[in-house]
Amino acid sequence: MATTRILEWLGRLYIVLLLGFLYLPIIIMAAMSFNASPFYQLPFEWTTDWYSSLWQNDQLIAATWNSIEIAIITTLISTVLGSMASLALYRYEFRGKKLLQALLFPPIAIPWLITGTAMLIFFFGVGIGRGLVAILLGHVALALPYVIVVVSARLQTFAPELEEAARSLGANQWQVTMRVTLPWIMPGVIAGGLFAFAVSFDQFVVSYFLSTPGQTTLPVEIYAAIRKGFTPEINAVSTIIIAVSMALMLLTARFFKFGGEK
Amino acid sequence: MADQLAIASRRGLRPALPLLLPAYLWLTVAIFLPLSAMVFFSFMTDLPLAGKEWSFTLGNYAAFFSQGLYSTLLIASLRLGLEVTLWCVVIGYPAAYVLAKVLKGRSREAIFLLVILPFWSNGLVRIFSWAMVLREGGILDTALNAVLPFKINIDLMYSYPAVIIGLVHSYVPYMVLTCYLTLQAIDDSLIEAGRSLGASRRQVLWRVIIPLSMPGLIAGAALIFVPVVGSFMEPRILGGRTGTFYGTVIEDQFVAVFNWPLGAALSFILLAVVLIILALAAPVLRRAG
Amino acid sequence: MAGVQVANVSRSFGAHKALDDVSIDFADGGFYALLGPSGSGKTTLLRQIAGFDFPDTGRIAIGGESVERVPVEKRRIGMVFQNYALFPNMSVADNVAFGLSVRGEPKATITAEVQRALDLVQLGKLGARKPHQLSGGQRQRVALARAIVTKPRVLLLDEPLGALDKALRVDMQIELKRIQREIGITTIFVTHDQEEALTMSDRVGILRDGMLVQEGPPEEIYDRPQSEFAATFLGDANIFRGVATGSGIKLQDGTMIQASTGASVPAGTEASCAVRPERIRISTGAGIAEAGGANVLKGKVSKRIFSGNNSTYFVDRDRQTLKVIVQNTGAERLAEGEPVVLSWSPDSTVLIAA
Repeated sequence: MATTRILEWLGRLYIVLLLGFLYLPIIIMAAMSFNASPFYQLPFEWTTDWYSSLWQNDQLIAATWNSIEIAIITTLISTVLGSMASLALYRYEFRGKKLLQALLFPPIAIPWLITGTAMLIFFFGVGIGRGLVAILLGHVALALPYVIVVVSARLQTFAPELEEAARSLGANQWQVTMRVTLPWIMPGVIAGGLFAFAVSFDQFVVSYFLSTPGQTTLPVEIYAAIRKGFTPEINAVSTIIIAVSMALMLLTARFFKFGGEK
Repeated sequence: MADQLAIASRRGLRPALPLLLPAYLWLTVAIFLPLSAMVFFSFMTDLPLAGKEWSFTLGNYAAFFSQGLYSTLLIASLRLGLEVTLWCVVIGYPAAYVLAKVLKGRSREAIFLLVILPFWSNGLVRIFSWAMVLREGGILDTALNAVLPFKINIDLMYSYPAVIIGLVHSYVPYMVLTCYLTLQAIDDSLIEAGRSLGASRRQVLWRVIIPLSMPGLIAGAALIFVPVVGSFMEPRILGGRTGTFYGTVIEDQFVAVFNWPLGAALSFILLAVVLIILALAAPVLRRAG
Repeated sequence: MAGVQVANVSRSFGAHKALDDVSIDFADGGFYALLGPSGSGKTTLLRQIAGFDFPDTGRIAIGGESVERVPVEKRRIGMVFQNYALFPNMSVADNVAFGLSVRGEPKATITAEVQRALDLVQLGKLGARKPHQLSGGQRQRVALARAIVTKPRVLLLDEPLGALDKALRVDMQIELKRIQREIGITTIFVTHDQEEALTMSDRVGILRDGMLVQEGPPEEIYDRPQSEFAATFLGDANIFRGVATGSGIKLQDGTMIQASTGASVPAGTEASCAVRPERIRISTGAGIAEAGGANVLKGKVSKRIFSGNNSTYFVDRDRQTLKVIVQNTGAERLAEGEPVVLSWSPDSTVLIAA
């Protein structure tokens, strides 16, 4: 039918336009990071100077290391804790289970502005204060719900009889979990881990409130730089960050189907 | 029946406790206790630090109601949230529809991933990238000038539209995601049935597809509206002087003015508004989840 | 190898009583069927014996040792699940080896035992395959091999043949019996298929609504059911209801039915009689020899079903439809609507207390 075909091609065109809208700014920002002009002026002159100057920026380097360290530790902690919680929610029925599942929503649903400032107040009050430890505490809490959701989704495909069969063969709970359950849910655990890393590495708002001079993360440093003024150095570090984030997400997509398809 | 019995025999909180405790303990310390502390704090006059006098007061909340500034800004933020959400619906829903119904197979998966990808990269950086495009002398300006015969000055930076554009860019993938999931679940045979009964395309759209997509639309709307209302980073970077919203005022209390109790009170009011909205959306969301 | 004793076991889930004072003795080396409709409690009982669930009251003993509070992993049982529950990430050999491996057996022992088990179920060459590469029947055999390789004391099977198609099911029934006889392990399996229970087991326990209705060898239950439920669940039966006469029952319309088998019921109380369809002779009436004391009824054929080697007649009589099965020996075929005479011996009539 002609109308259907026309509509379908219009639809495809629309998607192309949308992709353009989504990616054009990023491409331009990346392009400008290779342009020699410090005021973003054309004509385009190729250079990698802005990238090399990043290495001189000690503050930025330190913040980058902080970001990576915190992201790695966050990933490890949230993956282990989150997987354990997912297993419990999968295996057992008990009163209050629905409540526990509902409690996973606040960290994601409540604006980070509120959670971040609340953490700031509380940590200050109990003596943790600001800094890398506080940031770590916050990041793990934000990553946990994502890990639990992802691992739980994977557990949905795990037949309960498998654990029972293992037990009937004499395996204790530890052996069952390690030798039967874990191998099956591993893709979910890895996807959860990658999510956690991305959540932590890209996290701005909570890190912003919990940072203190000398103990900041990369996004916080970038924000400070932006507030001072636009320079192509910012473009350079931003391009690197975006490339890393996207690479991570492509990797996650291998392990976890966002679209809910088999 | 056997399954029910199988599950029933795994009752009990006790075996689950050691697995659940670490994660939930962490959440309690890092999220639930802080939120409670914030409520507590909002009723104080000052920080309970050594050497500072403090007492309980409703003054912070009173300030919200007495000083028109705060409620004005809250309304401005709510309006911002609504506008961004509506734009996301207008832009995102058709895209989700094309993805779910027009594209098929591997191209669909690939395009879907491409649409979702930016959303998972650093939000701060994406906002910055818009600054590149929108500012005077930026790409938009230069490109239009190259094309148009007359000189035109596009300086969208530091304006309300810039904030809107930046926020829509950040959040539209959310809407595409939720609507896609819902649309994908709609059986094609329903659409065919509608057509076979004589309905035109537009009627099928309005009377069959859109009602069935409601859960996805509402879920997406909730996921977008809530963060936007509390946003401060995007207005600051793209909005400049016009970028004052409820979120930026709260931010000020904590990083500039150091009136933490007031910040806590304003935060809590925002939280209350957010929870009310989520509670309204929850029944639909639960059916969708 | 060991026997299993279940004594006065009860189990409730909330308001629902799944098992009500059930007692069965499973002798060492026997092949037992737990038969019953959906919701009868047969799977619950099996899981109690396995150790996935514990009884509220009562005792369970394996080999004389009380196990009612012992969790499954310590009971040394072998279990075959309805959908086989093979570990998808492991090969067939690794699946079978699992029980030995969690026990810490040395590698050489494991390899040898696994091969022996696979040979026993005739899958000797398929050790390297993965479960998803096997057919349903093959998976079932792997599940069986996996369950017996650890030399458990009891073998439990939960509707083991339910997922197989008819031809395969018959083959597997024979296979299971052969293997069980070869290793001599006490075997208890759960099924809702009465034909399976009849053909495979040494003894059958019929469960209904959590209670044990009757227990014994299949022939005994078939020839002498102790309840209407047992009579109709295990095989087909024609049921007559009336008042006990001391030698049978008297129907509402006055017809007397003589029964020389079954319970002794005091005259005057309510009772039933059960007659198997294949024990009834059917003819047009000409030449029915009233062989001393035979039960005789008149009726009309309402339907005839031809099944190759036999035919089933449905005969209407006094608001009741009776079922008669005859071998097709070439004798006259009776047509629908024909008036017929039914007769059968009192020996084939079982008296059942109400």
